[in-house]
This record gives sequence, structure tokens and C-alpha cells, in this order.
Amino acid sequence: MAMKIDYVIRETGSNIRRNITLTIATVVTVAIALALFGIALLVRQGVDNATARWEGGIEFVVFMNVESSNAQLQAVADSLDQSPEIARTVFFDKDAAYIEFRELFSGSPEILETVTAEDLPPSFRVVPVDTNADAVEQLASRFEASPGVREVVSAQETIRNIEKFSNFISRFVLLAAVALLLAASVLIFNTIRMAMFARRNEIEVMKLVGATNWFIRVPFMFEGLIQGLLGAMAAVGGIFVLNGVFRNKVGGPNGFQLVDSLVVANEDVWRTSFLLMVIGALVGTIGSAVAVSRFLDV
Amino acid sequence: MIKLENVSKVYKGEVIALHEASCEIGKGEFVFLVGPSGSGKSTFIRLLNREEVPDKGQIFVAGKDIGELNSWKVPYLRRNIGYIFQDFKLLENKTVAQNVAFALEVIGRPRHVVKTQVPAILELVGLSKKMNNLPNELSGGEQQRVSIARAFVNRPLILLADEPTGNLDPATSVGIMRLLDRINRTGTTVVMATHDRGIVDTMRRRVVELDRGVIVRDQARGVYQ
Repeated sequence: MAMKIDYVIRETGSNIRRNITLTIATVVTVAIALALFGIALLVRQGVDNATARWEGGIEFVVFMNVESSNAQLQAVADSLDQSPEIARTVFFDKDAAYIEFRELFSGSPEILETVTAEDLPPSFRVVPVDTNADAVEQLASRFEASPGVREVVSAQETIRNIEKFSNFISRFVLLAAVALLLAASVLIFNTIRMAMFARRNEIEVMKLVGATNWFIRVPFMFEGLIQGLLGAMAAVGGIFVLNGVFRNKVGGPNGFQLVDSLVVANEDVWRTSFLLMVIGALVGTIGSAVAVSRFLDV
Repeated sequence: MIKLENVSKVYKGEVIALHEASCEIGKGEFVFLVGPSGSGKSTFIRLLNREEVPDKGQIFVAGKDIGELNSWKVPYLRRNIGYIFQDFKLLENKTVAQNVAFALEVIGRPRHVVKTQVPAILELVGLSKKMNNLPNELSGGEQQRVSIARAFVNRPLILLADEPTGNLDPATSVGIMRLLDRINRTGTTVVMATHDRGIVDTMRRRVVELDRGVIVRDQARGVYQ
């Protein structure tokens, strides 16, 4: 088909200029919706990172001192093995801890640089037979006093709360994002409808002289696509800024605190950004396509 | 070129616009459609352009049954049909030349074709000096010439005209009819719905008279009544 790109760009440009306020409103709505959506996804990713060590039924972790001796390690290992309440134990030596650490902080090279395997505590990841909260609590506390043990961290205290909280947050945010996305597609629908109304005489003539339906449609659908993509770009920009702020505030060089691991890797941010662009493009194209097919009547 | 076989069209199940109409129009003919308002003249024309689809019967344009035509093929049908109106339907924000060029651009004609065809057709309709004027700077007759130029620039096989002189004074109408006659003599089939008794009686062409959707007269070299 002889569709000229400069024709589409010119027509779309003049449509957008003619309807600039509505276009801005649409773009801002798309941006906010997609930013919320992206934040929800990244929070979830962060929580996944933070809770990675709790996978596979692990209910508590016995962290040893960094400088604990082999004899102390052996003693704790033996007493864990001999407890009938414990189904399985996984030992993480310094190297294993370092590998895990590198994964968790892959997005923060400045943290990785300052920490070596020697700085990390070895630990025992424990899978108990009975996962009832009280039983786990009681079992975990038995190892707190053993020589060489730095601390015993159980899932109940920390992770389960974070998971619940983040589930609540991300569900709420996702819901808001979906509602806003719906609003955005209705806005796009409306913008395109107005653009088409403004040009109804031209459309009528185009139909009469035999312009193909796609020839008439494409500039309008392109307009919707542009609005969706502009919104997505604004959302991506916002997410990068927010992520940077979060990382600076939280990801200090000397922390091995749980919240540190909420920091997400750059790949995750890029992947989310890509997803946002795709969703923005889809919302724009679908919204305008529906408007075009409803009001073109070709 | 055009053939209607027992074509009926009813609007909203009660208003009969066309009833069992059969008619054949050959290549290069000039046909007046006459009859009172509401007799089905406009429906006749709209059916040929496939703005309407018949409820019954078949319509052939250039050998094709256009009732069977896929909707995506309709634009290609219309490229063979020029169409002019009582109210011109020009784009007010485009100049004369741009209005004509628009018709070529939107069907994807290359730029060099547009560049050569537009001045040529404006020359033909006698508007070379006004090609950079806007439609509202022209008289009614001149505007109708622009709309004829737009309809004919693609050299269609058929030219449909729905009361093209309805808004014009008699002297101007004569000029428009001369133009349509000239186009007809290039081999283009012209079908024109009109109320203008003077024009029909002077030109003495084939007349098809409609009354409440029925063809009541079909006369070669006919008069208005």
C-alpha cells in the first residue's frame, strides 16, 4: 500500500497540535498509571530479592559470627543434625554467602566493591518439621546461646510481615494502576474521537474519493500510539529517578540489613521499563483503534 | 457500464426509496434522473457509489456486482466514480489546488502525478487563475467547478452528480452543464439527479423519471415532463 510516512507524521502532528490540552491530560494520566504499575512491579521484585533466602521451607537462619572457629561451626551443625524437630539443614559458608550477596546487590556495584567473602557470616538455613509459628520460635531460640552464634533470625519476625505488607501495597497500587490505565484508554478514545470530529469533512471527502480505510485510520491510531508512548516514557523517567533516590537513601555501603536487599537490580528496572513502554503502546493503539472503528463507520 | 436489476431499497422498514427498479446505462451515456423530492433519485445515486446497499436486487458497475463487494474493496470502486454535490463539500481550510490535490494524495498517487494533474484539470475547468484562493473567496459556480475538478482529476469512468446546479443561478448553471457535457464527451458516463427543468429540456439527453421509488419513464433525448 502506498502509505507515505511523511503524510502520517504531518497529519498526526497537526491533530496533536489542534488538541494539545487533551493530549497533555491523556499523556499525564498514562504516565501516572504506568509509573504506579512499574512501582508495584519493582516493589514486588525487591521483596522477592529480600525473601529469596526464605525459599524452600526455610523458617529460620542461624547466623554465625564472622570470626567463629571451625569447632564452633561443627558443634552447631551437629546439634542441628541431632534435633528430631529439624527436617533439613543447609550450610552456607562464606563463599556461598558471598555468591548470594552478589546476586542480591548486583544493581549496586558500590556496595559490592566494599564487601568481600571474608566480611560475610556463614549461616545454617533450617527447615523444621513443624512450621507452626510458636514451634519454630521455640526451636530457633534453642540455638541462640550456642557459642559462635551471632543471631538467629526467623521468618516470622521479619519476612512474613514484609511479605504481607508488600502484598497489600502492591495489590493496592496495582488496582489503582489498572483503574488509571482504564481511565487513560478512555481519555485516548475521547481524544481520538474529537480529532476525528474536527476532521469529519476531510474524512468524508477521503471516503468519497476512494481513500482506503487504513489510509484514513493510520494517522489517528498513530496519534494514540504516540500518546501512549509519551506517557510511558514519562513513567520510565519517573521510575529511574525514584529508584535512584531509594538506592541512595537505603543502600548504604556498610549495611547487611534486610532493607538493603529491597534494592532492585538495574536489569529489573530496565525490564520493567520495557514492559511499561509495551503497555503504553498497547493502551494507546487499542484506545484509538476502538475510537476509529466506532466513529469512522467505513 | 451500470446495470440495476429489480433493485429495492426501504429505509427503516417503511419508507420506500426504490422499488423494483431496473435500468441499464451504457458507457459514455449522459442520463438525467428526474422526479419530485423523495422519489428516490438520491438513493439511486448513493447505491451506485455503495454508500447504500440494496435490500433486494443486484447492481452492476463496470461488470461487477457491487452488492457482493467486500467492504475493503469499496474504496477501489469509488476511485472509478467521481461524485459532485449540491453543496460542493470542499475543504474550507485548503486552497483550490490543495482541494484537488487532496483527492489524489489520499489515494496514494505519487507526487509528480499530483503536480502535473492538478494544474491540468484546473485549466480544464477554467480556474487556473484562482488555484491559490480559498473556497470562500470563490463564487458558487466557481466552487462547483472546483468540486468537478476534484471529482474528475482521477479520470473516473463514471461521474455521479446529485443536484449539482441546485444552489446556482440559471446562467451559472449553464456554465456547469457545459463543463459536464465536455467531460461526458471524453467518454465518461454521467448520471445526474436534478430538478432543473430548463437544463433537462435544453440538453435533450436520456431522462429516467422516478416517482415514489418506481421508474415511471425512461426516454432517450427526453424532456423534464
